Amino acid sequence: MLTITNLQKIYNGTTVVNLPALSIKAGESVGLVGNNGAGKTTLFRMILDLIRPSKGEVYAKDINVMESDAWKTYTGSYLDEGFLIDYLTTEEYFKFIGDLHGLSDGDITERLQPFMDLFNGEILNQRKYIRDFSKGNQKKIGVAAAALSNPELLILDEPFANLDPSSQIRLKNLLKNLREHKHMTMLISSHDLSHVIDVCERIVILEKGQVVQDMQTNENTLHELETYFTV
Amino acid sequence: MILTLLKHQWKSELRSSVLQKSIALNIILGLLVVYFGGIFLFLGFYTDDILAEIYPGQSAVAVFNGMLLYYFLIDLFFRFMMQDLPVLAVQPYLHLPVGKNKLVHYVLLKSIPSFFNLLPLLVFIPFMLSAVVPAYGQSIAFAWLGTMIAVTLFNNYLLLYFKRQMSTKPFYTLGFGLVISLLMLLDYLELLQLQVVSKAIFGQVLLQPWLVAVPVLLLLGAYLLNYTFLRAHTYPEEMKVSKATQATGGNIAFLSRFGELGKLIELELKLIWRHKRTKSIAALSVMFLFYGFIFYTNDTYLEGFGFLIFVGIILSGMPMFNYGQFLPGWQSAHFDGLLTQRISPVQFFTAKYWMMVPVMTLAYILTLPYGFFGHKILLINTAALLYNVGVNVFVIFYFSVYNKERLDLSKSATFNWQGVGASKFVMMLPAMLLPILIYVPFWLLDIPYAGVAAIGGFGLLGIIFQKQLLQWTAKRFVEHKYKLAAGFRQS
Repeated sequence: MLTITNLQKIYNGTTVVNLPALSIKAGESVGLVGNNGAGKTTLFRMILDLIRPSKGEVYAKDINVMESDAWKTYTGSYLDEGFLIDYLTTEEYFKFIGDLHGLSDGDITERLQPFMDLFNGEILNQRKYIRDFSKGNQKKIGVAAAALSNPELLILDEPFANLDPSSQIRLKNLLKNLREHKHMTMLISSHDLSHVIDVCERIVILEKGQVVQDMQTNENTLHELETYFTV
Repeated sequence: MILTLLKHQWKSELRSSVLQKSIALNIILGLLVVYFGGIFLFLGFYTDDILAEIYPGQSAVAVFNGMLLYYFLIDLFFRFMMQDLPVLAVQPYLHLPVGKNKLVHYVLLKSIPSFFNLLPLLVFIPFMLSAVVPAYGQSIAFAWLGTMIAVTLFNNYLLLYFKRQMSTKPFYTLGFGLVISLLMLLDYLELLQLQVVSKAIFGQVLLQPWLVAVPVLLLLGAYLLNYTFLRAHTYPEEMKVSKATQATGGNIAFLSRFGELGKLIELELKLIWRHKRTKSIAALSVMFLFYGFIFYTNDTYLEGFGFLIFVGIILSGMPMFNYGQFLPGWQSAHFDGLLTQRISPVQFFTAKYWMMVPVMTLAYILTLPYGFFGHKILLINTAALLYNVGVNVFVIFYFSVYNKERLDLSKSATFNWQGVGASKFVMMLPAMLLPILIYVPFWLLDIPYAGVAAIGGFGLLGIIFQKQLLQWTAKRFVEHKYKLAAGFRQS
């Protein structure tokens, strides 16, 4: 699904991301962990063709993301509030995204159904603009919009941050469901080690832009990660 | 304590990202300040001479006094339109051990060093020195100046109060506006002569200088009014002028017929409708429709062609210039989102193109009545419309890739320098000058109508090749999109 070769991003002489090779198979769910400044968001932005790499390429289904827009049809993503059109109402925003993917109103309602628990009655039919929602609720809207088109590849940056505990658990179950039933390929970064291990079958630790560990999750993973991050 | 707060305020002004980013903008701002300051100073020193010339035989001070009431009423109007309420800045202090009284005083004092309060001083002080002191002596002159300052500040606080009431008690503000309009109307119908009243009021101060106490008391009253109101409402959500707005405006069904293009246009129209800054740009564009009256009523302009071409370009093109000069910065807040959606760059710009064309055509139709000033105007404006639609749109698109600054759309457009950079001024030059350059050779050959036709012809060419031009625009956009996205991410 995703192949990264020789990818580098250098800002003023500092290498922020340096990945000689990383590939993600279709249907795989990968969790990206690392302290602040490890280069997680920069990597996501290069995958989404929002930042020009200093060197190297990102291939989605063997096509360079910089050269074709084809990946946009099967990729859903939410990194930060910059992805939300904040002067629309939630419904208008979902409708806009749905229209871009050729979904009918019925399709949209149906696909939002699994999100109703997560929305907790605070998201739909609110008669207010997205900019007036709280950070946590904005995140819910963004994640739902990213998953709306049933993308083959779902990219989320810290989906659990800013959410209350119940919402975190609901989102976790939701993502697991998407993985199991829709076979979405996922790339998720998180600071919450236990959540990310629950959702992802493969964990990549990033430090100073480099992959330091790449492992399949098992019952010991949490312990390993905790040891790794204990300084 | 209040001094520390004022110091913070000063730092926040100095360190605002807009001022620190662009040297060119600072220079232009500085020049503007010097220019207007100079004009006002000049006015101040020569008002007495000018007045003596226009009203021979009358005392300059008396005539000046007669105008003051008008001035202060107009001042109120402009304040209402442009002055911002200084409120939100106290939020970071509310939870600290700072007395609420002090915070309220700070909010109120903060409003004094504003453009509206300082600029008039540049007129009042020189006029006092050159006219009032020689005629009445120093102490009376100071009383007069004190009156001026007190009334200016009285206006300041009066307006702050009414503007703040607007959200909760709109009728107060409405009534206030009605009273002022009524005064103006009575004056216009000559039932009440404001000039005479004004002369009497301000003349009395010169006769009995202790009367300066009256405006000072008024000022104190207005200050206290504001103070008691704010003291009772120190919660940020109550101090805000507009609360979280209710969503308005539904879907524009007509546009959905145009598929994804219509969707994108609808999105952009909603953007304009739902933000303060874009709305004030729209209002500004409407004002520019009246620009024609300045030129078309003057025979010297009507005889030539050059000025009329310029006016023609502005009349139908101003909405586009106003809005287009910041493209695509309007969408800076969700630019990353747009880039990752299934929107091709060509679609992105085609939507903008088809949003602007109808608006310019509408502006053209609305300004058709200017044709009464001469059929020539109709021809020129038609050519200008074609040129705007065929060429200038792409000029704007061409420069749009240099707009890397994030825009905050919730602020009003007046005095808003955010996103204004050197490229804005450079961009306007070709848009306005090129059509005139096209016209010049024909003017030299003395066949002006052929020149007008040539301008229209270039426009038609642009319209015929619009597909290619849009593709070329999109290609440029793709080359520059990383820089744009990076710039927009920095708030």
